[in-house]
Amino acid sequence: MEEFSSEIRFVSLLDASDDDMVLLSDEGGLALDLAEMKRVQEYYRGKGREPTDVELQSIGQAWSEHCCYKSSKVFLKEYLLSIDTPSVILRGDAGVVDFDEDHAYALRIESHNHPSAVEPYGGAATGIGGIIRDVLCMGAQPVALIDPLHFGPLDFPHDKLPKGVKHPRYLFEGVVAGIRDYGNRIGIPTVSGSVHFHDGYLGNCIINVGCVGIAKKKNILKNAVKTDSDVFILVGGRTGRDGIHGVTYASVELTEDMEEEWMGGAVQLGDPITKEPLIHTCLEAAERGLLNGMKDLGGGGLSCVVGEMALAGGFGAEVNLEKVPLKEEGLQPWEMWISESQERMMLAVSPEKVDDVLHLFKLYDVLATPIGRVIKDRIVRVLYEGKKILELDLDFYTAGPEYCREYTHDTRYLEKPEAIPEEPEDYSKTILKLISSPNIASKAWVIHQYDHEVRGATVVKPLQGKMGYACHGDAAVIKPLEHTFRGLAVATATNPTFSELDPFRGGMSAVDEVCRNIAAVGGFPDSLTNCLNFGNPEKPDRLGLFRETVRGIGHVASHLGLPLPSGNVSFYNETEHGHVPPTPVVLGVGKVPDVRRCITSDLKEQDNPIFLIGDTKNEMGGSEYLRVFGGHSGTVPNVNVGMLKKSLHAVFRAVNEQTIASCHDISHGGIAIAISEMALGGDVGAFIDLSKTERVPTSVKMFSESNTRWLAEVWRGKEDRFLDIVSDVPVRKLGMVKGSSVIIADSNVKAGIFLEDLSEAWKRTIYDYMGGTP
Amino acid sequence: MKVEDVKVCILIIEGTNCEAETSQAFRRSGASAEIVHLKQLLGQDTKPEETRKLEDYEILVIPGGFSSGDYVRAGAILAARMKSRMEDELVQFIDEGKPVLGICNGFQILVELGVLPGIESIMSRYPTASLGWNDSGRFECRPTLLENWNKGKCIFTTKLERGQIIQAPTAHAEGKFMLPKHREKELLDTLKDNDQIVFRYVDAEGQIAGYPWNPNGSLFGIAGICNSEGNVFGMMPHPERTYLGIQQADWTRNVPDNGDGKAVFESVLDHVTKKF
Repeated sequence: MEEFSSEIRFVSLLDASDDDMVLLSDEGGLALDLAEMKRVQEYYRGKGREPTDVELQSIGQAWSEHCCYKSSKVFLKEYLLSIDTPSVILRGDAGVVDFDEDHAYALRIESHNHPSAVEPYGGAATGIGGIIRDVLCMGAQPVALIDPLHFGPLDFPHDKLPKGVKHPRYLFEGVVAGIRDYGNRIGIPTVSGSVHFHDGYLGNCIINVGCVGIAKKKNILKNAVKTDSDVFILVGGRTGRDGIHGVTYASVELTEDMEEEWMGGAVQLGDPITKEPLIHTCLEAAERGLLNGMKDLGGGGLSCVVGEMALAGGFGAEVNLEKVPLKEEGLQPWEMWISESQERMMLAVSPEKVDDVLHLFKLYDVLATPIGRVIKDRIVRVLYEGKKILELDLDFYTAGPEYCREYTHDTRYLEKPEAIPEEPEDYSKTILKLISSPNIASKAWVIHQYDHEVRGATVVKPLQGKMGYACHGDAAVIKPLEHTFRGLAVATATNPTFSELDPFRGGMSAVDEVCRNIAAVGGFPDSLTNCLNFGNPEKPDRLGLFRETVRGIGHVASHLGLPLPSGNVSFYNETEHGHVPPTPVVLGVGKVPDVRRCITSDLKEQDNPIFLIGDTKNEMGGSEYLRVFGGHSGTVPNVNVGMLKKSLHAVFRAVNEQTIASCHDISHGGIAIAISEMALGGDVGAFIDLSKTERVPTSVKMFSESNTRWLAEVWRGKEDRFLDIVSDVPVRKLGMVKGSSVIIADSNVKAGIFLEDLSEAWKRTIYDYMGGTP
Repeated sequence: MKVEDVKVCILIIEGTNCEAETSQAFRRSGASAEIVHLKQLLGQDTKPEETRKLEDYEILVIPGGFSSGDYVRAGAILAARMKSRMEDELVQFIDEGKPVLGICNGFQILVELGVLPGIESIMSRYPTASLGWNDSGRFECRPTLLENWNKGKCIFTTKLERGQIIQAPTAHAEGKFMLPKHREKELLDTLKDNDQIVFRYVDAEGQIAGYPWNPNGSLFGIAGICNSEGNVFGMMPHPERTYLGIQQADWTRNVPDNGDGKAVFESVLDHVTKKF
C-alpha cells in the first residue's frame, strides 16, 4: 500500500468544532453545510486519520447539489423517474430511447445559468459543449441542438440596473454569439429553441441547452467501466485552472462579489476546434468496438467521472494524476482533480485495445492519455508522482446526501381579485401590439445566426413558409438516417408566466405545449427531458414551487406514457433581488413515421377551410395579453389529460393522412396570433369568424392561451376525411384562407389587418433592440 | 469510366464539419466517396493502410466547416498547410483537368490557395480575390436563390440551363466575394469574359437583389465562380443541403422530385465518367 505523499496537506477535521467546520467549508469553497461536514468528520474518525485537501475538495464536488441532486431527488423519484416504458434503453448522462430496429436516439437538456450570467459568451458556448458530450458519451452522434433562453426585459432602463447585474441586451447578444460560435463550429445544427423576456430573469438569466443524438444500438455505451482490468484514457482538451469550483458555485446563490472569483476561474473556456474532431474520433472508436465505456468530464471534472464510472461497473479506480496533460504549469493536484476544463472525455478501454485507441486519436490530432486503471476494491485512489494523495471508499464518496427539505405551497395568488382589462376599442391595434411584443415577435435575429442546416438533415426548419416570408414553426424535424424516411420531431416549451401563478398547471402546460408542437408537424410524442430552473431549495416556498411543477409535469407525462429518461435541475437561480419565476423547460422528441408527410405552419392555398381543434376557455392567467395590457387572473390554463391524449392521436393521424395543409399550435397570444403567424408564413390572408365558438368575451376568444388547441388549414376536398379522423375531439370550422389581410370577426366586432402591417409589426422588434435589418 | 468507379476524396482537418452530407451526396449519385484526413494524404502518423495519394482520386472536394477554427481568416490555415505540403500534387491534379470542388469553407480555402479565380495560372502565389465578412457583420444561415450564370465552361453546372434558378442555403460569416479595389472592374470583366462566373444571388422574381437575398453583399451578387478552365469550382451556398426535395426550405409548399443541389453533383460526375 502506497504511503500518503509527504507534500500533501492534511486538514484538521477530527477535532474540529462546528464553527471550525463551517469555516472550513467556506474557505475551501466546498459548499457543504454543517450536517454534511459532520458526516465527513464521522467517516474520518472511523478511518482514524485526517482528510487530505484533495479528499475534501472531492467530497465537496460529489456532494454538491449540482452533482447529486440532494434536494430534488425525492420529488423526481416520486413524480418523474417512476414513469417507465419499454422504449427506454438506458438512463445515463443522456437518456437513450428506441428509434427503429437497429437504432436509438439520445436526449438531454441542462442549464448553464450561472456561468452565462457572469460571462455570457463563454458560459453559453461551454453549455453547448457540455450537452454535446452528454449525448456523445452514450455512443450517439449529436444531430440537433435546442436552446431555450430567458432574459430580463430588453428595454430595462440602464440606471435602474442593480449593481453587478448585466443588461439583458448584453447578455442576449453574448449568449446568442456563444451558442453561434460554438454550435456552428462543431457542425451540429441548432434547430429549435425559444426566447422569453421577463422581469424575473433580470438578475439570473436562464440559459438551457438541449441535444438530441442518434446511435446504432450496437454502439451504445454505458457511462461505466466493464472489467477489472479496464484502462482509463483521458481524451480531448488539456486540464487547466478554468472551471474550478463550477459545480459548487452553481449550488449557491449568485452574489455581486462572486463575480470576480468566477472570472478568475469558475467559468470554463470552450474550444470547439478541439471538440469537433473529438466527437467523430470518439464515435469512430465506438464504431470499431474499441471502447468499454465512455463518460464526459463535466461538473466536478476527474473527481466525479472516475468514481462514477468505476462504481457503475462495480469496481474501484486508481489514477496517476501527474499523467494528466495540463494547460499550464503549477497546478496543485487538487486543482487537476476537480478542474472542469472543457472538451474532455474519459474512455474505459480493455488493455489490449489501448494501442489502437491511442493511434486513432493521434491520427486525428486529438490528445489521448492513459491516466489510470480499474481496481477490484471499491475505492478511488489517486497517486501523484507515486505518492498517495487521496483514498476514499466509493460507497461513502458517491453516496451523496438526499434530503426531503421543508416546502410550502403558497396559493395567495388565488385570493388576488381578477382584474381583466375592458374589451379593446380596436382589436386590430391590440393584435399589432401583441404580435410586436418581444415574447411573440420574430426571433429571426437569433435563428439566422445559428446554422440550422448543417448535416443536411433538417427537413422541417425553424422558420417555415414561402421564401422571404418564413415565420415561426412549432417543431423542427430531423431525418437522422440515410436509409429511412423516419424522422425525429423536436420541440421545446416553457411558460414561466403560467408557472409563477400556478406551478402545477405551469408544469402541465409545458408538457401539453411540447406535445402539441410535435403533433402539429406530424410527429407523435415519444419521450421528454426537462431542465427545471428554480431558486434556492433551502427556502421552503421555492421548494414548494419546484414540487408542484414536478407534480404537474409528472401528471401529464404519466397519463400520456411519456418517459423522461434524463433531465437536469438547476437551483439557486436567485440573487438578493429575488428568484427567477419557476421555469420548467420541457424538451420533447416525437417520432415521425415518414418525414415526407410532415407539414409546416404556413397557410398554403386560397379557399382552403380553417378549423379550430380544441376548446377555448376563460383562462387568461399568465397570458401574454394580460402581461402586455395589464390585469390579473389566477386562472391559468388547465390540462385535461384525457382530451390531450385523444387530441394528439387525432392531429397526428389527420396530418399523416395528409388531410391538413398547415397546422399551428395555439399558445402565446392565442388564436389571433396563431392565425396571423400562419398567414405571414404563407404570405396569404385569412378570414375567421369566432362568433359560433364559446360564449366568452371576444378578447378571451382571440387571446386566451387555453391548452390542447390547434388551428388547421384543411385541403379542400379532404374536409370529410379530416372531420372523420377528429370526430371525438372538439372541432369547429372558423373560416378560410382568403385575400391579403387577416380578418377576425366576432358577433359585433371585427379586426382586419393587412399582411404588410402585420409583417412589419412582427419582424422588427428584436432587430430594433439588437441592431441589423430584418 | 463507370460512375461507381469514380473515387471522390472528401478532404478534412479539424473543424471541417460538412463531410458526412457532402460524401453522402456523391454516394447518392452513385460515386465512391471517401472522407480523407489531410494527414492521410501527407502520410503523417498513418499506418501504411491508412495512407492515401491524391492522384488515386478523380475528384477532390473540400467541404464546409470551420477548418482549424477559422480564427485567423476563413480557410487560411488549411490553405497554408496544403500549399506548403502538397502544392505540386494539387497543381498536377488540376492540370490534368480533374475536378476540384470547394463548398463554403472549401470555397474560402480554394481562394486562399490561389486556385480560384485562377485567371492567369493554375495556382497564384498570393490570393487574388477574397471572401470577406458579410455586410451584416454576422453569421447568416438562410435559404438563398442562385441563378446559373455560366455559359458552359463550368463542369459542375452542365445539368443546369443558363438562367435556371436553384435553391441552396448559405451558412457563413465570411462570404462576401471581393476583388482588389484597384483592379475590380478589370478583373470582374475578365471573369465575365472567361465565363468564370457561375452562380449569382437573385430574389424570388429572379432579379439581382440586395440583402437578405444576397446574404453577404458580394460583388455583382457572386455566389460561385470557377477557374479559367472550368474544372475548379467554389460556391458559398451548400448544394449538398438541397440534394433531396425534402431538404429545400419551402418543400411543404411545392414538393420537387429532386433537390436543386443535386445537379451540381450529377454534372461533375457526368463530366468525369465521359472524360476519364
